[in-house]
Amino acid sequence: MAILIVHPDRKTQRTVQRILGVTGYRIEVADDLEQGIRLLQHISPRLVVVDVSALSSPSAAAFFAAVRARRDEACMMLLGANTLDQIPHILELGAITNLLVHPMPVLAEALTITAHKLVRNDLFGAEKYLLWGTQLHEVDVTRSMQRPKIVADLAEAVRARGQSARVASMAMLVADELISNAVHNAPCDADGNHYRSEVARDTDLELDAQHQVRLRWGCDARYFAIEVNDHFGSLDRGTILRALAKQDVRESGGGAGMGVALSYRSCDHLVFNLAPGKRTEIVALIDVRYSPSERIPASSFNVFVERST
Amino acid sequence: MTDIRGRLHIEPGANGTWMLSGSIDETSQLGELLSRARNGRLVLDLDGVQFINSLGVRDWIRLQTEAIKQQLAIDLIRVSEPIIHQLNMIIATRGNSHVASFYAPYACDACGCEESLLIDADAHAASLAQLVPPAQTCPECAAQMAFNDFPERYFSFLVPDSSRLG
Repeated sequence: MAILIVHPDRKTQRTVQRILGVTGYRIEVADDLEQGIRLLQHISPRLVVVDVSALSSPSAAAFFAAVRARRDEACMMLLGANTLDQIPHILELGAITNLLVHPMPVLAEALTITAHKLVRNDLFGAEKYLLWGTQLHEVDVTRSMQRPKIVADLAEAVRARGQSARVASMAMLVADELISNAVHNAPCDADGNHYRSEVARDTDLELDAQHQVRLRWGCDARYFAIEVNDHFGSLDRGTILRALAKQDVRESGGGAGMGVALSYRSCDHLVFNLAPGKRTEIVALIDVRYSPSERIPASSFNVFVERST
Repeated sequence: MTDIRGRLHIEPGANGTWMLSGSIDETSQLGELLSRARNGRLVLDLDGVQFINSLGVRDWIRLQTEAIKQQLAIDLIRVSEPIIHQLNMIIATRGNSHVASFYAPYACDACGCEESLLIDADAHAASLAQLVPPAQTCPECAAQMAFNDFPERYFSFLVPDSSRLG
């Protein structure tokens, strides 16, 4: 198995190579997309890492088509602070399943976690993003109308732990949207019908074991992590990428997937862990180290799909 | 704190203002606010609204769209930070409403205090247009506070946009 790095800068190649080398996978390096396309004909990388400069290459379409054709692999793009305006274009491509916008050393952490998750096919749990010893609190949502109370309790807990009103506000919004989606959009029958998606969100539904949603949260003084799980696994990669790319959220606030789009814009890193037909887990990370004026005005995302064994 | 995600409450304030508090969400039914307009103008005090979710955003946009149809002006005063974030993120939430005053994040370098402080948008219109936040004094140590966000991001709701409704 291999990891393919496509980057024009030799020093960055070496840095990324050192970080990803810890996985034990063979690292293949290409200076440009043309060389990357040639390598893709001979290797089946588990992960492809591309610099944002690839977007301006005349071979971009061919390269990303080649990546998309290999549906099992992940494609990650690295973004510098001066290229954040490229994010809408990147999302529209639909080929990038992982976007990391943070500079070193946060980039190294995110790269390493991403690579380990892919290599080990061990995707689930917010613990992977938190320091050792961090306690995760959990709540099972057993009735749909518990959501406002659970979200209010979460905000109170955030403030009680000394975090700012801004962090509490972001945590509330993300938790509310993700729980709402897990209760109403995740349930799906054998024919693929999402039978609760049109049920009014203020209807009180009793949730049996299959329909219950689990919220977990914790903070390690770097990140406030919010994790929401459902037992359906009906959310797919294409739906997520379309939701993240939604431009009409910006323009009109309309359409399906708005909850995912707002959650993405309200945290620093949104991670989707998908076990199709079994389980969906979404982890939102809010960086609590930096004040709003020191934070990068963009968010990272990962979409992981569990490989069947 | 527990009311932060409670249902939306609407109460009359001074000079025809309507004071909103609680959450704007799937239960809010904001449309009925339009019947409370006086002389073609609806004045909403949003100081008490500390939460809005995606369904609340949709309802808010419907309110703005309907106000434009009915040629009603909406003035927003003491707009809380969660609402400002939505005004910045989703252009349609702005409608044709006028933000007269709003809260913004400030931090004190001297004592570390972080506060959401009120800005009079009309009084500071000239400096805000230049993306210069007004000076604020720390309520704890009286030192000068620094604006605690990117001005070009936080004040973007003040910039007219050609794609706005109406």
